[in-house]
Amino acid sequence: MARKASPARLVIALLVAGALAVFLLYTSIAGGGNPSIQPSELAGRTGTVQLAGAVVGPVTGDAHAGGLRFRMRDVGGTARTTTAVPVTYTGSVPDLFKVGRHIVVDGELRSGTFVAEPGSMITKCPSKYVAKANDESP
Amino acid sequence: MAELGRAALLLTLGLSAYALVAGAAAARLGRRRLAYSARNALVAAFGSTLVASFVLLAALLRNDFSFTYVARTTSEALPTRYTISAFWGGQEGSLLLWLLVLTGFGAAAVLLNRRWTRDLIVWVVPVFAAVATFFSFLLVAVASPFATQAAPADGAGMTPSLQNPYMLAHPPLLYLGYVGLTVPFAFAIGALLSGRTDERWLVATRRFTLFAWAALGIGQLLGAHWAYVEVGWGGYYAWDPVENAALMPWLAATAFLHSVMIQEKRGMLRVWNVLLVILAFSLSLFGTFLTRSGVVNSIHSFTQSSIGPWFLAFIAVVVAVSLGLLLWRLPQLRSPTRLESPISREAAFLYNNLLLLALCLTILWGVVYPLLSEAVRGEAVVLGREYYDFFLRAFGLPLLLLMGIGPLIAWRRASLKSLLTTFRWPTAVALATGVVLLVLGAGSSVPGLVAYTFSAFVAATIVLEFVRGTQARKALGAASWPGAFSSLIARNRRRYGGYVVHAAIVLLAVGIAGSSAFDTVAEARLERGDSMRIADYTLTYRSLDERQAANATEIRATLEVRRGGRDLGTLEAGKNAYTIEEQVSNEVGIRSDRVTGEDLFVIAEQIDADGTVYFRVFVKPLVNLIWIAGAVFLLGSLIALWPDAREQRRLVERARQAAVPVES
Repeated sequence: MARKASPARLVIALLVAGALAVFLLYTSIAGGGNPSIQPSELAGRTGTVQLAGAVVGPVTGDAHAGGLRFRMRDVGGTARTTTAVPVTYTGSVPDLFKVGRHIVVDGELRSGTFVAEPGSMITKCPSKYVAKANDESP
Repeated sequence: MAELGRAALLLTLGLSAYALVAGAAAARLGRRRLAYSARNALVAAFGSTLVASFVLLAALLRNDFSFTYVARTTSEALPTRYTISAFWGGQEGSLLLWLLVLTGFGAAAVLLNRRWTRDLIVWVVPVFAAVATFFSFLLVAVASPFATQAAPADGAGMTPSLQNPYMLAHPPLLYLGYVGLTVPFAFAIGALLSGRTDERWLVATRRFTLFAWAALGIGQLLGAHWAYVEVGWGGYYAWDPVENAALMPWLAATAFLHSVMIQEKRGMLRVWNVLLVILAFSLSLFGTFLTRSGVVNSIHSFTQSSIGPWFLAFIAVVVAVSLGLLLWRLPQLRSPTRLESPISREAAFLYNNLLLLALCLTILWGVVYPLLSEAVRGEAVVLGREYYDFFLRAFGLPLLLLMGIGPLIAWRRASLKSLLTTFRWPTAVALATGVVLLVLGAGSSVPGLVAYTFSAFVAATIVLEFVRGTQARKALGAASWPGAFSSLIARNRRRYGGYVVHAAIVLLAVGIAGSSAFDTVAEARLERGDSMRIADYTLTYRSLDERQAANATEIRATLEVRRGGRDLGTLEAGKNAYTIEEQVSNEVGIRSDRVTGEDLFVIAEQIDADGTVYFRVFVKPLVNLIWIAGAVFLLGSLIALWPDAREQRRLVERARQAAVPVES
């Protein structure tokens, strides 16, 4: 058996990896994915975005009839530093949803109100041990 | 007590640092006694970590709230079993568990292999010691579990969703998996450092790798089952970054377990194997970094902390040093044999590896994409479910098919004609299954139908292999069919254990395809007495009850379930309101059909004051095969793992021979 170096396989592997990288780059540019932004960055945005922030009360309405209404503000922001964006949401409401909780919803801004896609809400598990210190409930 | 813990950790740091420095010096200078002392320091580091762990465990069990860690993670009222699970419930404790497992694995791997890989072990010890030094440094200087405070009256308690039996097993299994991958990494790097780049490091670590891989697999399935029955959104995997963090090293390790066989049998893929091990280990570090640093938005958001940058720096060092060593030893890693044909077992394994790696890197890309896009475009872009689902199909389905082809195709070179003969029956079975399913209406999802058909193909090859093997053993003089069958497995545990694992993957594929491609969902707001229909089930909402449990108020809606006129009894779904923690949790109702493996899954999404309930109901065909797959996977892993002295001797002998350059 020949014992000389066989760079062929390495080259093939690199080619495959390279082709894959290009493919991924292509699909991720063309194939969507939503910008993830905070409520303070929302003003003037069009198109679907992923909004991450903290829930501000009061929470009114019905998620399965007419929509749940609440507001969201930047995580870590306070009433003085950032304004809260009104949000309407329909669909499943995760267990952990409540005022002060950090949530993520997909949707778009329509005449000043962020209209979330049905069922898109996820809540972040409260950080088990720092929850009390970090709770920004007003 | 806290002082004892701190002292023990400091001792671990000292011993690890000594093992690193003395071990490296001994290996470099060829000092045998110094090398022994370094090895013993590594073993002793396990002892002192064990002491530190006992101190923390004792503090948890005694509810000693003067330990900041204990006060933050537990409370007086918390049941004992969850007090124990609080050990890995917080960051400092999980780092300690990491160090404990690491030093334990290190001591075991070094002691078990000390005789026949002496010249390799001397270099493995400092590598292990380097990793242990990093973790013990973190525990001593950055995130100590033994910080103390004036004891408060009660602790902060534990999040209700973590007060769950799954949390007793799921995290430690993942840790065993993550940390277990250090063993092949340390041996691979030791092999590069020592220049002993033959197959011995593979033989020495095979069982450790298998064990880590099996633990990681079972740990993830437990996590998925927990998400399914407890979190209650109707799914079991959400492509969340933290879930992906465990899946990526598992995929890399799966690729490694396969390519190892090619190196053992044919001496090929040496560079590739080292690369895979480096990748698997780096990914397991990266997984910890992801969970702990809070750099990506995840459903799991653990305590965000200062250890993130340390981890990132450590990962960078690990990758840079490992790749540097690999390049340095590249000339020695040339394989004596080459790929002879693109249709051969070697080639099939190579394709399997490329697909596994492609899937792994695709997921990695998805996980880091928000960070990359933020760096490039100034705005984080999140890739959704569709992205992952697309690539799971694109790479997963061919992988499934290869799982049937790989084990049966001939080594070196297979002719097309022999392929036709070999795969005649499996192909016939697969086609027949496809046609029958198409007639039954499975054409509604093409990927689902393809997954079913490929699964049938693989299942047929596995059955064929067992039948042929058993027949051969019977012909060789086994007394009975069961005897022939068991001796078949006993004589080649790796191979037939592997087939059992493959069978588990088939079950998993069928379960995933059934529950995701062919599921049904319905929603309705019901008043008492109202009914809703889904698939062929009729559900009637009968009553709403409120019960007071120890730490929560339980509200349950009772539904009557009928299918095609048959009464199937009742199902309860509702919510628990935890008083102290001020949290509500969904408690879903699940009715599993033992015959068909189908689940009826009921979520009481919203319960109004007037007693009307908004229900969301799923019918998930075959979903229970996923959990059965877990049991089969465990069985297969155990068969492959079970000590086999004869096999081990044979491998050791072969590796020894390979270590001595011989004329070929």
